[in-house]
Amino acid sequence: MATAYRTHVSIIADILATAKQYSYEGYDDGATVTHLIRKANVPHQRLGSIVSALTESGLLYEESTKYRISEKGIEFLRAYNEFKGFAEGFGLKV
Amino acid sequence: MAELLFELPMNLLGLGISAFIGRFAYSGYSAIASPNLLRLTFAFIFVAAGFVFLAGGLFAGDYGRAIGTIGLAAQAIGYFFIAFSHSLKSFDAAPPRSFALLVPLALTPFIIPGNSIEHLVRSISFILLVYVSIETMASYMQTRKSSTLMIGSGLGLLALAELMAWYSFVYPGSLFYYAAIAIKVTGLGLLFVPFSKFGLASGLGGRLNSKIGNGL
Repeated sequence: MATAYRTHVSIIADILATAKQYSYEGYDDGATVTHLIRKANVPHQRLGSIVSALTESGLLYEESTKYRISEKGIEFLRAYNEFKGFAEGFGLKV
Repeated sequence: MAELLFELPMNLLGLGISAFIGRFAYSGYSAIASPNLLRLTFAFIFVAAGFVFLAGGLFAGDYGRAIGTIGLAAQAIGYFFIAFSHSLKSFDAAPPRSFALLVPLALTPFIIPGNSIEHLVRSISFILLVYVSIETMASYMQTRKSSTLMIGSGLGLLALAELMAWYSFVYPGSLFYYAAIAIKVTGLGLLFVPFSKFGLASGLGGRLNSKIGNGL
């Protein structure tokens, strides 16, 4: 059986979804690096570079060693879910 | 005159549908910077450009055949971009089992009697479309999404249209050519139905300048 792979964009979406969960949905402090590693299922080495890129592009922001999702990040997640359906219609992943 | 009355509206309809899907795919790329959405953008831009050439060829007199062939070639490039996205997925997830099925099809350009550029282009388009529709149907078998089934069927109809158009070479003056154009536009219409659910419901224009994922 073939293993399901994740694209770079879907890994970003998983990280942002985790940050969103820890920013708004009952956990207001933000997500720690451990939360991101465990929930988004990304190795620590890879997470560092992705989180840096997300912070630089304003999708995440750091607040006392915890990561919170920005408005731009929420908009990205909304767009991701919308276009994911579109690409899946063609049998592709975003 | 009959050609103009039938072919021109069909080509313009195909142009409208493919340009709309391409624009939506581009708005997706500008929002989340997905390479697959960029490939879909290129694919539908080339398909739309193909329809422009096909419509333009109707008014080009002696050069009409040549301009029409350029249009078909542009559409074949468009289909290549979709097939390329599927081939990346296949190589990433599993051995390229689907390519074995394509070997006999890949030989078709060389066994068609009286080869011409138009024959070759149509054969290549047919091969690419069959591959893409098989891959899309395989995805449907996994996800069971009605939108995937509809798009897979649409791509299958586009492949059938290429086959019918090839038959019009064998039987010139028959209705095969008109049937091919009608089937092609029906296929594009099937692509449009699930797209309209995503595109029209979500405010297509507002996404174009958002550039949310710019720089990722």
